[in-house]
Amino acid sequence: MNAAIIQLTARQLLGQKRSLLMLAGALIPVLIAIVYRLSEATGNTIYIRETNQLISAQPRWVAQVLLSQLIVGTLLPLTAQIFGTAAIGSEIEDGTAVYLLSKPIPRWQIFASKLFVAWAATTGLVLSATIVSTAIALDQPFEYRILLGFSLAVAAASLLYSALFILLSILTSRALIVALLYVFIWEAVLTRLFRGLRFLSVRQYSLGVADSVIHAPRQVFEADLNGTVAIVLVLVASALLFMYGVRRLAAWEIGEST
Amino acid sequence: MTNVAVSTESGRVATESPPIEVRNVSRWYGNIVAVNDISFSLEAGVTGLLGPNGAGKSTLLHMLSGFLAPSSGTVNVLGQPAWKNPEMYARVGLVPERESVYPFLTGYEFVLLSARLHKLADPAAAAARAIRQVDLESAQGRATGGYSKGMKQRVKVAAAIVHEPSILLLDEPFNGADPRQRLQMMDMLREMAAHGTTIVFSSHILEEVERLAENVLVVVSGRLAASGDFRHIRRLMTDRPHTFTVRSSDDRRLAAALVGDPAIFGVELQDERLTVRTSDFAEFTLAIPRIAREANVTLLELLPTDESLESVFSYLVKR
Repeated sequence: MNAAIIQLTARQLLGQKRSLLMLAGALIPVLIAIVYRLSEATGNTIYIRETNQLISAQPRWVAQVLLSQLIVGTLLPLTAQIFGTAAIGSEIEDGTAVYLLSKPIPRWQIFASKLFVAWAATTGLVLSATIVSTAIALDQPFEYRILLGFSLAVAAASLLYSALFILLSILTSRALIVALLYVFIWEAVLTRLFRGLRFLSVRQYSLGVADSVIHAPRQVFEADLNGTVAIVLVLVASALLFMYGVRRLAAWEIGEST
Repeated sequence: MTNVAVSTESGRVATESPPIEVRNVSRWYGNIVAVNDISFSLEAGVTGLLGPNGAGKSTLLHMLSGFLAPSSGTVNVLGQPAWKNPEMYARVGLVPERESVYPFLTGYEFVLLSARLHKLADPAAAAARAIRQVDLESAQGRATGGYSKGMKQRVKVAAAIVHEPSILLLDEPFNGADPRQRLQMMDMLREMAAHGTTIVFSSHILEEVERLAENVLVVVSGRLAASGDFRHIRRLMTDRPHTFTVRSSDDRRLAAALVGDPAIFGVELQDERLTVRTSDFAEFTLAIPRIAREANVTLLELLPTDESLESVFSYLVKR
């Protein structure tokens, strides 16, 4: 990776109004967790047939609503697409990408540096929201594993989303629109309608990663993808996206995405 | 095509092939041909890439700078293909046409970034030297987002020369620069060329090229219309047939008088408008006041009708 590109990209992404907007977005799950905590719903219980136990419904709400839907399903992809598409897309759009690309730097270093900053910014923000909101909403025994599982899921999915959205911004000037369609049509609708598509969904991968760590009763949390399969898919997909992204960056032509 | 050899003897680039070599290069976008079968080679010195807007200058420059793949033919820079060859940028500097720079960086930070990306041994010293060269020291601490167009051009040039490249490519570098900045930049480029740098810059302004370039490549409609020594091409441009419209106190009498002049090969009087065609621009402009005086006619207006660059370039293409 290249320190100069990392510093430049960090200033680009974090020194702008968009960071404040993202921060405001990250506060939403925290506020919802506070509302949940103050509501009577915290006293609900669920029956676990396998162990013949009644347990608090808090872990289920946290895992299925707060973390799966709000954070992994909405906040994470939105944050990743804002940072990911801006990491190099904004430079391609305004013409400043030429200043990076006209340097004797291997293209993989440029892509890796951009990916690192987009990943770190997304993970930092979403992970903070995950930790704070989970800490507020939970006080039951599953706390540690749910938090760890979803933290790993956020870190893994953030890498994959960032690689995907950086690649999209190299391929098209409409990266943001394509990314929105992917997140809210493909992932949110189509993968639910057609189960086979879960193998092509970053969200399903991340839930699988979380599930592999949490080991909770299925009434509390269960992913559609097996944990090991999800981890392998994250690694393979990240590697493929990285290699293809580097290849496209090496063949980038002036005016191509503008 | 008018072709005069493009070369100078000097050159510090220690490659067997010329620093820039373009062979039978074409570039098309779908059905549109932007550059059509162009060949040339360049040695050290300043070469102006001249042509009207949309002629293919930028496309050619983008191929030279490795940012466009030729559809056919080869573009070699320092003996290696320019396309997909980032290593070449260690010895190539590029000043793009778009004026955008990172608005949140100061001028110094922008040039320093370039020095760091080139992995120079002392990036701070190199940045300071480049900024001094473009005379931007007083504004180096300000964010580039607040720079004028001319200042942005200069900071872009500083970033492009921070690593003392062997080849410098500039796309319309004088856009937005005031006359003083223009002269200062021209002096700097001349000095770099004198030290063996191969400089190629594009422009659609004849006078800019005339003042700076020893050699020119005239590109019209994607084709190389002329190349070589600028004075030779300038002469061709000047000596071509010219058409003037003339308004006088008595057009008919003036037309009769003009017919007898050997420099004039066509006179037309139509719809109360006198059109004169001459083969010698200088001779005609000197002769017409005398002819009018002798014919006792008052000249009211003399307008060249085909002085646009496009018409000059079209003439070169036809030759």
